Amino acid sequence: MKFSCERESILGLLQSVIGVVERRQTMPVLANVLVVVKDDQLSLTATDLEVELVAKGTVTVQQPGEITVPGRKLLDIVRALPEGAQLTVTVEGERAIVRSGKSRFTLSTLPAAEFPTIEDIRAQQTLTISQAALKRLLDKTHFSMAQQDVRYYLNGMLLESNGKTLRTVATDGHRLAYCEAPMDTPAAELQQVIVPRKGVLELQRLLSGDGSVELMIGTNHIRVQIGHIRFTSKLIDGRFPEYGRVIPTNPPRVVTADKDVLRAALQRAAILSNEKYRGIRLSLKPGVLTVQAHNPEQEEAEEEVDVTFTGEDMEIGFNVNYLLEALAVIDGQEVQLGLTDANNSCLITAPSMPHAKYVVMPMRL
Amino acid sequence: MYRYSCMASRAILHVDMDAFYASVEALDDPSLRGKPLIVGGTGPRGVVAAASYEVRKFGVHSAMPMREALRRCPHAICVRPRFERYREVSRVVFDIFHAFTPIVEGLSLDEAFLDVTQSLRAFGPADAIAAQIKQRIREQTGLTASVGVAPNKLVAKIASDLRKPDGLVVVPAEAVTELLDPLSVRKLFGIGNKTALQLERIGIRTLKELRAAPDALLRPIFGRYVALMKARAAGIDDRPVIAEWDEKQISSEETFDTDLTDVRTLHDQLARLADRTASRLRAQGWLAGLVVVKIRRNDFKTYTRQARLQPATQQTRPILSAAGRLLNEWHQEQPHAAVRLLGVAARDLSAVPQLELFASPEQERERELDATIDQIRAKFGHGALYRAAALRRAK
Repeated sequence: MKFSCERESILGLLQSVIGVVERRQTMPVLANVLVVVKDDQLSLTATDLEVELVAKGTVTVQQPGEITVPGRKLLDIVRALPEGAQLTVTVEGERAIVRSGKSRFTLSTLPAAEFPTIEDIRAQQTLTISQAALKRLLDKTHFSMAQQDVRYYLNGMLLESNGKTLRTVATDGHRLAYCEAPMDTPAAELQQVIVPRKGVLELQRLLSGDGSVELMIGTNHIRVQIGHIRFTSKLIDGRFPEYGRVIPTNPPRVVTADKDVLRAALQRAAILSNEKYRGIRLSLKPGVLTVQAHNPEQEEAEEEVDVTFTGEDMEIGFNVNYLLEALAVIDGQEVQLGLTDANNSCLITAPSMPHAKYVVMPMRL
Repeated sequence: MYRYSCMASRAILHVDMDAFYASVEALDDPSLRGKPLIVGGTGPRGVVAAASYEVRKFGVHSAMPMREALRRCPHAICVRPRFERYREVSRVVFDIFHAFTPIVEGLSLDEAFLDVTQSLRAFGPADAIAAQIKQRIREQTGLTASVGVAPNKLVAKIASDLRKPDGLVVVPAEAVTELLDPLSVRKLFGIGNKTALQLERIGIRTLKELRAAPDALLRPIFGRYVALMKARAAGIDDRPVIAEWDEKQISSEETFDTDLTDVRTLHDQLARLADRTASRLRAQGWLAGLVVVKIRRNDFKTYTRQARLQPATQQTRPILSAAGRLLNEWHQEQPHAAVRLLGVAARDLSAVPQLELFASPEQERERELDATIDQIRAKFGHGALYRAAALRRAK
């Protein structure tokens, strides 16, 4: 195998796939990237067995072939070469040699045959949506995914299509984020899949351009081609909870507040909340929302926020982080908190984003 | 990317005192120094609690019946254990650990994990900290310790054992596989004699061979833990070092009339204790974030093993299953140990319940079952009702 290219063309490809190269690999070959050259094309593949990324670019191919080389080392070398440098990669025996100007690097290799790749995902359905809309769906909900929960189906994001719209739902059992967006072309049937956390975060990173993308959904995988990069992730085989049941409809008390003012008040109060539980107390009176926090050292914070509210007084406790993380992704100036009582969830919405809903369960204070 | 923030490299020390009880005895009585020394009971049920290196070369090891030990090394000198004294020395040693990091997880009187990742700035590189700890232990107690330095608990523990006594083995992240590859699979916790023999039968002797073996071949041996065992063979282990804070805990423990060796009986007893602990959690309104299993061998050597509970819980089932896994891990390390005492403790207690969005039907059933059991016990006493697992032994 032998090919030549400019530093920048291979650097871009390496940077796109390096996110899934395992640092703590269970199999040595997973620390490598698969390098395939043929027909003037270089293809780099990285995988952690859950998420696979393939990046393709044009190079000058002297001799086609395939091999795997240590991913991070190759990236570090290419990155450290001078801008615009020309480099040549050859495989000689069991070594891969990178030459550029007066530099020469000999890297260890493992056979391409040992590298696990996901070929045909047997797509049963394809959804088409604009890249911007998909990115927005992920951005607005990803923070509510669980991490290492025993309920493994929560350690990911639900993608659901009802034919016209695509929905994303993430929840860790304490709070939930929901967002929906119209698809470019209608899809046939109702479909639910759960994309694992790692896959969601990687996909989110890759989405940046204009135009549309196709989500190809197979029984066990989801695949998305984004420009020159092909993203494939395993799906979580499990049943996502019935999220519709826990999104309140028409909560009796609706509080309207300036999002930035409320957020700043919560951030300040959070400083003196218990570091472990992050509990704060919200006291609601007509026109005023009072935020109180205290910690085991008996330090206290109190904030008053002017709000639009005319109902009955009430008090409720929350993990302040859950409220802050939801407020952080809300667009526009105005936010609405829909409340029932101290034992029921709070619905956070904003008039400027009717397609997103956030639900936070209270804490008993 | 923030994905990686939690994966930053750690510096973990495993410190293991060399032949601790025997060394303390030799320290206090200079006439015993350099002699073949066994600490343990001398009665008919007596077992070896510790053996000096002079005796170990005759194949004597801790937990061996005293009669057998004396057959192998008839000229050994036996002394009765003085646990009060060992605890005293242990406190000095643990104080030294705490001078370098607050994150110290004691495994027994003479063994601990230390996470010094946050101490590197103040005290220099991990190998220098390890050397200082060894030196201070020598200065303040006159004893030697063996230390393993590695990016995680698994490798640190293997490393500390490599050059005993008075060893210091440093394994940088990039040298982990090189170090582990040639080692026997028996070095891995979770692989006892039985499992090792099964592996040898399919031609797997070293960790390298285990790491490279196809999953299909390992599945009959490890079941759903194939990926975990392969990860361990590759030196991957992200279990945190869990410091023992001086905090509230709820625990149930029991000393048995006769020492227990049968693993099923141990699990039956564990089920009873976990049930009792969970029941107390519910009665007092706590959720546990950590479960700790305490095991005392018949030679009084005491071990603790702990695991996080995520999400925090007060239900019997998740507490029992976590405790069961810990007991299994320990038992695979010490398949022939006779157990004198078992305990199940709940720690990292939180009183402020975050309300749940979804109560799954199974969870709801479990909750109702727990509540019903608690009600019946409140009326008729704790002994009125047991989980069937705990009953088997009573027959």
